[in-house]
Amino acid sequence: MTINKMQKLEDKIMSQIKGGKIKLRSKYIFIAEKLGLSSGFVLSVLLAILFFNLAFYCAKESDNLAYLNFGSAGFLAFLESFPYLLIAAMVILAAVAGFFIKKSEGTYKWSFGYLAIGLIVMVMLGGGILAYTGVSERIEEAAFKNRMPSMMFRPFLERGIDMRHKGIAGRIAEIGETYLLIETPRGVEKVNYSFKNDEKFEVDGFIIAIGRREGDVFVADRIKMLAEDEMPMIRRGIHRMIGPSRPFSPPLPPLEMNRHDFLFMK
Amino acid sequence: MNHTPLSDEELVQIIRENDQEEYSEIIRRYQRKLTHYLKKYIYDQDELEDVLQVVFIKAFKNLYGFNIKMKFSSWIYRIAHNEMANHIKKNLKSPVPLDEVEYKIVDEKIDIDQDIDRKILARDLGRYLGSLDIKYREPLILFYFENKSYEEISDILCMPTSTVGTLILRGKQNLANIISQDKKYDDK
Repeated sequence: MTINKMQKLEDKIMSQIKGGKIKLRSKYIFIAEKLGLSSGFVLSVLLAILFFNLAFYCAKESDNLAYLNFGSAGFLAFLESFPYLLIAAMVILAAVAGFFIKKSEGTYKWSFGYLAIGLIVMVMLGGGILAYTGVSERIEEAAFKNRMPSMMFRPFLERGIDMRHKGIAGRIAEIGETYLLIETPRGVEKVNYSFKNDEKFEVDGFIIAIGRREGDVFVADRIKMLAEDEMPMIRRGIHRMIGPSRPFSPPLPPLEMNRHDFLFMK
Repeated sequence: MNHTPLSDEELVQIIRENDQEEYSEIIRRYQRKLTHYLKKYIYDQDELEDVLQVVFIKAFKNLYGFNIKMKFSSWIYRIAHNEMANHIKKNLKSPVPLDEVEYKIVDEKIDIDQDIDRKILARDLGRYLGSLDIKYREPLILFYFENKSYEEISDILCMPTSTVGTLILRGKQNLANIISQDKKYDDK
């Protein structure tokens, strides 16, 4: 570029600046931008921590991990009951946090690998610490009582008490020759079995079974008795649906009775 | 009396708070440097001037977005780089025009391959650089022709310093491959 042309360009730009055609963007816009990025990052990390904590909580407190008591035979039921939705939400939020941090000033100097590891460690540590506060249990309670804002977590938490096709867990209400009637967070369900079980079933005892569904009936391949506190989420689900343990509970409804009628009867 | 000229960062502070007319000094300081840099990517003189004008206008508008603790030259080069990238997206690949001094720098600094005929290299380097993937071309040009350090390139291209080093190394290897393949083809 010749000196003449350079001077021309300088004059052109300066005349626009002096004439007020080109103005400095307000510093508050940049402050707001920085604040937005920082708060977006903090919010997404906090939510990722919360979702990780809820995923861990769901796996531990529902029947999910209990299926592994059956060894490899319980693996399909474990996979089926795994809290994927919570994990997916956590991963998405961690990615969003990564996006915010990458957009922040100076963070491009960090390598992607270190950034990802840092975020994962932060989420896992935060989730671990949060586990001691009992916040997940409070969220679960409020979510199933339809209280805001915990209610927003309900679709994620319902997975912990949803119907499974490869497994079932609940409280024994009636013991038959080749069947058990069990109370689950969805109502009363029938579990058929044709093998000789080593463990002695007891009414009000908690069981977990693997097998398959045939219509409304669950056909068990194996059944195990569990302590009540090994699946607190299932226990709470049953309490919400049916009520605390008997002997004062009303008689069980027939199997064909739907959930609404049953609750209404209560 | 010996006057120490103001640093770019001090000048920016003055422009932001007191005197916007001082921006002409910024233009004077960077016009030649940025023209030199952009020339590697934009062959057409009129287009180059347009891009340069946009760079200075954007830099002025966003002066409050510049962090005084950082290097202003890296910041304005980053704006120039982004504008150039936008421009390239709209246009096809073109050879990189180099001047005589730059061929000399290449001869001294890039030890591409002992066997390569340096005359061919000097004559066609612009074309070779032009056919190199842009992700390798950018750090090579900044390092060899703009004399930027790895740290500055990292600030301009917004990538970790280690990545800059890797890209420069691979870029040199790719350039050597392109040149030796071309030489083999010519020999046949």
